[in-house]
Amino acid sequence: MTEATLEIGAEQLRPRRRIEFQLVQWAGIAIIAIMLLAVIFGPFLLPWTAQEISCQPFETPSPAHPLGCNDAGQDLVAGVLTGGRVSLGVGIATALVTTLFATAVAIAAAYRGGLTDQILMRLVDVVMSLPFLPLVIVLGAFLGASLPVQVLVISLVMWAQPVRELRSQALSLRASDYVKASRAMGGGFLWVTRRHILPDLAPLIVPQFVRVAHNAILIESSLSFLGLGDPLRKSWGTILFHANARTAFLTDSWVWWILPPGVAIALAVTAFALIGYGVGERRLGKVPANTPAAGVVPEDAGALCLRKVSVTYHGDHPVPAVQSVSLDLKPGELVGLVGESGSGKSTLGMALMRLLAAAAQISGGAAWLGGRNLLALAQEDLRALRGQRIALVPQSAMNALNPVRPIGWQIAEALKLHGNPATPQRVAELLELVQIPPARAAAYPHELSGGMRQRVVIAIALANDPEVLIADEPTTGLDVLVQAGIMDLLADLRRQRGIAMLFITHDLPLIAGAADRLAFMEAGRIVETGTPAQLRTGATHPHTRALFAAIPALDAAKLWQRDDPQGAPVLELQDVSQTFNAGWLARLRGGRPVAAVQDVSLSLKPGEVLGLVGGSGSGKTSTARLALGMTAPDAGTVRVDGMPLGHGRNEAAHMVFQDPYQSLRPRMRVADAVAEPLRIAGKPVDPARIREALSSVRLPSDPAFLDREVGALSGGQRQRVAFARAWVTRPRIVLADEPTSMLDQSIRLDVLGLLEEMRQSLGTAILFITHDLVLARHFCDRIAVMQEGRIVEEGPADEVALHPREPYTKRLIEAVAQ
Amino acid sequence: MVYLRIILQYAAVLAVALSLNFLLPRIAPGEPIDFLLPEDVLAEMSPEDEARVMREFGLDKPILVQFGDYVAGVFSGDLGTSVSYGMPVWDIVFDRLPWTLLLMGWALAISAFLGSALGVMAARWRGGAFDVGSLVAIIFVGSAPPFWVAMLLITLFAANLGWLPSFGAAPLAAIPGSWEWIKGVGIRLIMPVTALALVQTANILLTARSAMQIAMGQDYVTFARAKGAGEGRVFRKHAFRNALLPIYTNVMIGIGNLVGGALVIETVFAYPGIGSLIVEGVGARDYNLLQGVFLLATLGVVIANLIADLGYPLLDPRARRA
Repeated sequence: MTEATLEIGAEQLRPRRRIEFQLVQWAGIAIIAIMLLAVIFGPFLLPWTAQEISCQPFETPSPAHPLGCNDAGQDLVAGVLTGGRVSLGVGIATALVTTLFATAVAIAAAYRGGLTDQILMRLVDVVMSLPFLPLVIVLGAFLGASLPVQVLVISLVMWAQPVRELRSQALSLRASDYVKASRAMGGGFLWVTRRHILPDLAPLIVPQFVRVAHNAILIESSLSFLGLGDPLRKSWGTILFHANARTAFLTDSWVWWILPPGVAIALAVTAFALIGYGVGERRLGKVPANTPAAGVVPEDAGALCLRKVSVTYHGDHPVPAVQSVSLDLKPGELVGLVGESGSGKSTLGMALMRLLAAAAQISGGAAWLGGRNLLALAQEDLRALRGQRIALVPQSAMNALNPVRPIGWQIAEALKLHGNPATPQRVAELLELVQIPPARAAAYPHELSGGMRQRVVIAIALANDPEVLIADEPTTGLDVLVQAGIMDLLADLRRQRGIAMLFITHDLPLIAGAADRLAFMEAGRIVETGTPAQLRTGATHPHTRALFAAIPALDAAKLWQRDDPQGAPVLELQDVSQTFNAGWLARLRGGRPVAAVQDVSLSLKPGEVLGLVGGSGSGKTSTARLALGMTAPDAGTVRVDGMPLGHGRNEAAHMVFQDPYQSLRPRMRVADAVAEPLRIAGKPVDPARIREALSSVRLPSDPAFLDREVGALSGGQRQRVAFARAWVTRPRIVLADEPTSMLDQSIRLDVLGLLEEMRQSLGTAILFITHDLVLARHFCDRIAVMQEGRIVEEGPADEVALHPREPYTKRLIEAVAQ
Repeated sequence: MVYLRIILQYAAVLAVALSLNFLLPRIAPGEPIDFLLPEDVLAEMSPEDEARVMREFGLDKPILVQFGDYVAGVFSGDLGTSVSYGMPVWDIVFDRLPWTLLLMGWALAISAFLGSALGVMAARWRGGAFDVGSLVAIIFVGSAPPFWVAMLLITLFAANLGWLPSFGAAPLAAIPGSWEWIKGVGIRLIMPVTALALVQTANILLTARSAMQIAMGQDYVTFARAKGAGEGRVFRKHAFRNALLPIYTNVMIGIGNLVGGALVIETVFAYPGIGSLIVEGVGARDYNLLQGVFLLATLGVVIANLIADLGYPLLDPRARRA
């Protein structure tokens, strides 16, 4: 998620746009409604039925017969209205049957996964590869021409596509953390489907229904037109079939015989199309072009000089995102711009590049780069500066490379755009600069690791020797060790080349060690600047002080001191191993076996806190899933209270997930979210118990709060709800998977404090999973370090963190310690 | 490995089509023999005759043997005999095939080119008059049944204006291959190709437009701008190259739709292709003919999809595997 979307709070922009799509949608719904009313009630108002001979053959229109008559002397108005019953009826009935069936198949495939999914999806592929109109014709010809057969036959060829689309959505819901969380609490197929998958899938089922209805009406008309309609019932298609058979289009009768049924079909189908597009189409609001005054160049401008830069988001009402920010960057200086989510730091960075989202507008100020105001330059002049004198390493740098161009091409492009020779030698130099073998210039982005892609982006940014580099959270989402490598690289390059660097981040420990100066941003303003050394001890602004206080030093006094745990282990893992992609099916699909967990042994006593520390992919989370009984180990035993777990779920344990934005379904009410584990276990939901759990994690427990949707809460509040959800089950073991890493710095220690309180009141044992050895040292009694699925070092927290034996442990410490 | 999977999949498609063909006469209401002979013949047959005919068609053998015979027959080019023509289905179909291919080929080329060009233009000037105008037009045109559009075209250009012939595929008077003949064929293609291409153009336009829109919102586009690339270059070299992938896929999926569209449109223009054949088959309850056409249409779509799948990695490096 980019910071921009957090800041605009997508919610603020949506309402107005929604009204616009709704207009289109309502137009479609209105047309369908009017048509339905007309075809249902219209025929009753006419003096004759559609089959009755009420006039002369080919009679021209008259007041009694506004559309005249067909060759058999049947009234055409009655024909079109009665025909609509069949055409619309078949369309809607088919859509209902198809969507219901497709939804069931899609959910089954997505939920069961594995072989079931494979077989169902191959079947879908097969059905989708059959030419559907010939298929419908052959089926229709054999099975006879009746309305139920039409519905059945059309459904038979139409179900596959909705399955494909719904299944991919259901699959992503299935993989979402809140489904994982629900399953981790013991939720079964029906529970998860009913409570989590269907409510989120519903908005996607509607467009599928609309599309099937749209196609079904067209197919029905084609079938009937080919003479495969029910010969005794009129439909729009059969009217056209007769008209065609009598070559009505060669006479004047086409106007009343051919036009009305065709227009009716087109209108009905258009209406369904409108309903469908109304959902998909978004309009961008027009935002006035930005034209801050050119202003006066300040003296001694340095490399980059910001004066009173302001940015406003235009949603329903304008929201100031950046307010009057002034900041100077000297040549070769590394300034860390630190702020929590929503503070406006990324918006400021993008404003300097003039690459803001359409809804954001620069509302004042100047940014001077060598005597020119970036914020007031004409597009063409700006283009010449971008990538040449001021360069960007964007936030999601891993996605910043074009997937269909080789990386060498992309580096060469950067050079060529600014008239520099793009020789293979130069490209090779740049790759070497970021420590990538030049031979990889021909590689495509997907062939590189995340860290390598990040470095290619840096090579592109540096290609034309810019004076200023804006790096926006360049290491977010990378493994902690890779992150450290990229930081070192950036710091080196800055020194070598004298580039002024604005490093935007929420990660204070990461930048505090490397930056010359720090600027703290809060609510769109810079609240304090200074050197890291000054600020660490002498920060004046409470926000800055709180941020520094929230970073424990590696060798400071241990924040959480506990007595030695007593009693027999509540959880034991004995030589457990697990390999993914081991089966022949996975091999057939090209998967390689991955030994995720190898011979891991752990034990946890009541009230004990064990830290499981490692980089990404080291097997920490897989170990937790084994401990929870979500998956069974290939070898070894998991014991709870000395009893082997077997294949069941570990009832004594509760898992808390990393990202509270994903582990709780946003549309759930707080009360339901907290009560979920009780409901899954079939226990009575006592409101007092819910309120108690909420107050234990210092959340309000009044009815208004209980009724709020989780999506309306902040990240910290959501993680507290996740803890309340754990608390309510009175777990004897909590598996906490990086519970603080997605939270802002200032609230991390508070959240750990809550875990500690739970431990004290309930005697809960905690398996604390983290990449942060410093944090683990303070929070845990013992630490186990995992690398490539194995535990490489284990011991008392202080010993492992302060006197590490393994080089891997040392690297982990260096990566996070300042 | 990937190719093996693709080939297996299409083999499965053919297997399903074959099984359907084999099973339909056997599970549909009535006896299999009802689907093999004309009704008037059936009406006059004695039970002994029926038994003899059953033996002749091998209908008295075990079902699996029948299936084996059927598949073997198909692979040796025997699609049965058409009741209404009294000729092998294969011969009839082969006579008609070139006309349908001609019709579809033009419609495919025109809709692919026009649809993607218009869609990309709509995305380029998104929200502008061109975009809104083309969207409104396309939603309505894409919603009209193609055969109805064809009927209106005939009314306008043949019946009222008299510009174009509304009937057949080639002038009857001209010698096949002569200039006169080629001109006649070309003129007779205009209306059917237009009717067929219209809906398909609408589909591709929408795909192209949304693919461009999605591509323009990607991080690599923002980064290309940050490199200093101008809007034109960003659009052509970065966004379009990526949008090409869904456009290509959609054009190829469209072949299946075109087969369906051709069937109905040929009927309206009495165009002597496979489509008219299928309608004759429906009218005459000529089941062998219908099944033969269905099998052939499936084979055609499978071949087109196979070519599309094999060609895809040329466009998308992510689909290439060592």
